[in-house]
Amino acid sequence: MHYKRDINILDFYGSLDENTLLSYKGPIDTRILQVIGSYLEGLLKESPKAGRKVFKIFIELAQNISYYSAEKSIIRNNEEIGTGMVLISDSINHYIFVTGNLVKNDDIVTIIEKSEIINSLNREELREYKREQRKLPVGQKGGAHIGLIQVALTSAHPLDIEVNPIDDDYSFFSIAVKIDK
Amino acid sequence: MENLEIEGTHKNFFIPEVSFNAKTGICEISGESFLEDTIDFYSILIDWLDQYINVVKRPIAFIIKLSYFNTSTSRSILDIMNILKDYEDDGGEVVVNWHFDENDVDMEEDIDDFIIDTGIEINKISF
Repeated sequence: MHYKRDINILDFYGSLDENTLLSYKGPIDTRILQVIGSYLEGLLKESPKAGRKVFKIFIELAQNISYYSAEKSIIRNNEEIGTGMVLISDSINHYIFVTGNLVKNDDIVTIIEKSEIINSLNREELREYKREQRKLPVGQKGGAHIGLIQVALTSAHPLDIEVNPIDDDYSFFSIAVKIDK
Repeated sequence: MENLEIEGTHKNFFIPEVSFNAKTGICEISGESFLEDTIDFYSILIDWLDQYINVVKRPIAFIIKLSYFNTSTSRSILDIMNILKDYEDDGGEVVVNWHFDENDVDMEEDIDDFIIDTGIEINKISF
């Protein structure tokens, strides 16, 4: 007896490497944020410095998906929640944290431009950029405009951005972040 | 004036523990801050501080012991630091003590950024 499956689970399994610590795809609501966040906090107690960074980066990037992903799921009381993917892999010297979600093509230029600015700045310049942006009026959803800047500061490595066009309206947007142990 | 007490939780969100005392002027915020509606939460704290500054007009010792806060929270902390700095500039007595884990280099940098941004003096106390 076989039930209909939407994916080839073996292909999916094989596409994740052996260092995968966690993979999640689905709506990123506050319960998921809390559950994965607490899991990471606990799991990474063994490396407090990197652990704190992984946790901080997880919250910022996952919250971005939750608020801004162009793909929405309706959960509980008709609440609209952004859907996306979160992957964390664990190597000897570092953690790699990857998120992916759909973004409207109209919005993608702004995100790429901001990421390029972030990657062009040294640490002191990045801090100044953060202070500048933080002073701006609060954005939609109470955002402080500094999520990606903070992620880059916390990681202390450039953001690795990838954009794959899907159709006329949407692209798949992915960020990979490296965190040294 | 009433004290402001909010119990911190770690359930669906990370709600910080808040204890603002109108008698002593000791205002402490601790725990972790990552909330669903950051602005709503912090506007309660800001309203309390505004009232204290305008009605009670006594010294404030503002104590921060947050081990984690997200970037939305950081915007609200900036607002609070600006309010305290304005109070100080108007003659109010203000002390800000920020306690942080000495291994948390990012946190020390964050505190420095609030000092640069607002001009307020913050005592950095590592543990």
